[in-house]
Amino acid sequence: MPKKTWENTLTQHHLLKRIPTAPFGNIRDRHIVGYDEYVKTGGYEGLRKAMAMKPADVTSQVKDSVLRGRGGAGFPTGLKWTFLPDADGGQRYLAINADESEPGTFKDRLLMDFDPHGLLEGIAICMYACRLNKAYIFIRGEYHHQAHVLEEAIKEAYENGIFGEKGLLNQAGVSGDPFVGECYVHRGAGAYICGEETALLEGIEGKRGWPRIKPPFPALKGLFGRPTIINNVETLAHLPFIMSDGSDAFKNQGVESSIGGPPSFGTKLMGVSGHVEKPGCYELELGIPLRTLIEDYCGGIRGGKKFKGAIPGGVSMGILGRDQFDAEMDFDIGRKYDVLGLGTSGPTVFDEDTDMVAVARNIARFYKHESCGQCTPCREGSGWLYQIMTRIEAGDAKTKDLDLAMEVAKSMGSMPGTTICGLADGNNWAARTIMEKYHEEFEARVARTFVPVTIDMAALSGA
Amino acid sequence: MAWIMKNSADAQIETRDEPYLTPDMEKKLREVYMPRYERPKGALFPALHMVQHHYGWIPQQAMQEIADVLEIAPSEVLDTVSFYEEYWELPKGEHLISVCRSIACEFCSATACTEAIKAKLGIDVGQTTDDGKFTLVELECLGSCGTAPVALIDDDLHENLSPDRIVSMIDQVQNGTYTQGGTGAVKEDL
Repeated sequence: MPKKTWENTLTQHHLLKRIPTAPFGNIRDRHIVGYDEYVKTGGYEGLRKAMAMKPADVTSQVKDSVLRGRGGAGFPTGLKWTFLPDADGGQRYLAINADESEPGTFKDRLLMDFDPHGLLEGIAICMYACRLNKAYIFIRGEYHHQAHVLEEAIKEAYENGIFGEKGLLNQAGVSGDPFVGECYVHRGAGAYICGEETALLEGIEGKRGWPRIKPPFPALKGLFGRPTIINNVETLAHLPFIMSDGSDAFKNQGVESSIGGPPSFGTKLMGVSGHVEKPGCYELELGIPLRTLIEDYCGGIRGGKKFKGAIPGGVSMGILGRDQFDAEMDFDIGRKYDVLGLGTSGPTVFDEDTDMVAVARNIARFYKHESCGQCTPCREGSGWLYQIMTRIEAGDAKTKDLDLAMEVAKSMGSMPGTTICGLADGNNWAARTIMEKYHEEFEARVARTFVPVTIDMAALSGA
Repeated sequence: MAWIMKNSADAQIETRDEPYLTPDMEKKLREVYMPRYERPKGALFPALHMVQHHYGWIPQQAMQEIADVLEIAPSEVLDTVSFYEEYWELPKGEHLISVCRSIACEFCSATACTEAIKAKLGIDVGQTTDDGKFTLVELECLGSCGTAPVALIDDDLHENLSPDRIVSMIDQVQNGTYTQGGTGAVKEDL
């Protein structure tokens, strides 16, 4: 039964089943899970179950589980799949977003590091359900080790008949429409923007990572102009569990929306970083209050200090202020606590000694560095915000600079309607929420701007 | 600042007789990478990675050679190379030290590590030592925020750093006792 409020009912990890993590395992036991061990521990069961069903039924089961995208936006995965046009015999692609570069996010790396077959099984299920014949795992360039692990795992998957000519997808199943499924690793080269779905496609095509104008949406015209599905690593890693245990088992974790919106079912990897005693990546049910997450799982704030703020999931999401320590980590968080959204739900926590102006400056520098430069508001705005934040931090700013920063921030992004992609929205929300929620710190750092006013006393006295 | 365009109109290309793209590389490019993509240009990333991994940077002659194989204009190769941070258009040091400067790392004292490296090597961020052994750069998030601060030495990730630890690792590289490892060693070029 789906729950109204969060309580911990997890008796074993789903995503981290084979990656020992507290409370169900010891980090020291982690190792790369190969094909044999993966199969022995129930691996590829979900794929076999899926292949005994019609592709459309697999999609319905995923839709029924209300699995929401784990890459940040929380878009329902099953619904995304239904946007695909009918197969016309041409190429259809799956692009896997493993370009995990959002500061504060380190969840997908764990899955690829130790349990690569969990991802490959998810990929195969998605390919079967959506009739996609090629999958590209776009992994960020800095993940050298993970790319290597994935290459090895893909080799094993080919040898053991998951992908390729002799692969499972090419055996006539219920669908009676077999095809050759291929899966490749495509390494990126150090650009955050390639995590944006259309920039990622440009990257696979060998071009600059410049986001495309939508529409057309990738489901209709994506990679090489063909129908393409783009999913995050963690989203796909959920599929084996949904297929093997059913959508109801998935819905038993997580919570219903408390404000009448779409629910937040399932578990989620939460990578906690910053000023906590035990930072790390935990698998927990969605809807866990931030306080419970930090105090019960992460050993509290470092050195017994007080909580000052936390970024809910990647710097683009804005910040949770001092009084929002009890915020629930689910997809409602954006509407309830004045942040952009849940993002990747990996909180970066700050203790009472943190200089929030320095936080704002660090984030502004990140966007200045990573803006792709296509849209003027983002390219110029991010640079100006960084300059203003540096000025405030150095104590050289005036009160009017705060207004200027706010004005620049508000003008950037696809939600104000000035840019192609959402990168600038992240900059907008980060700068704006930090300045709003910690305005006293910013005000204390700037010199007052005095406006000289001359009053004509003679005119006032009516002479 | 990936978006700054380079002036390539009057560029002079240094060439050498021996091609940068070795026959092995060309074979791998044609037989392994190109069939993976519907259009040859898709294989540009793997091609560039191959050259970058072998030489440590991407000479313009290599870009021309790649362009010939992929049957695209050399300017298209330059267009891509100049956008991405990981492709080096100029030679860098033998070892690349990349320190993460993003949010979790900075507030878990990455700055102290960078300062220690700068003092140790006598260079600033973005520079190469005179003996050509080390290049120091700062990167945005390396995706290991839970073990901040982190840095890459070449392809190996080192976590939970302290200024002393990173300096002693540089010592090891200098005196040849450094063993590839970190979170995981990369055995071959992908």
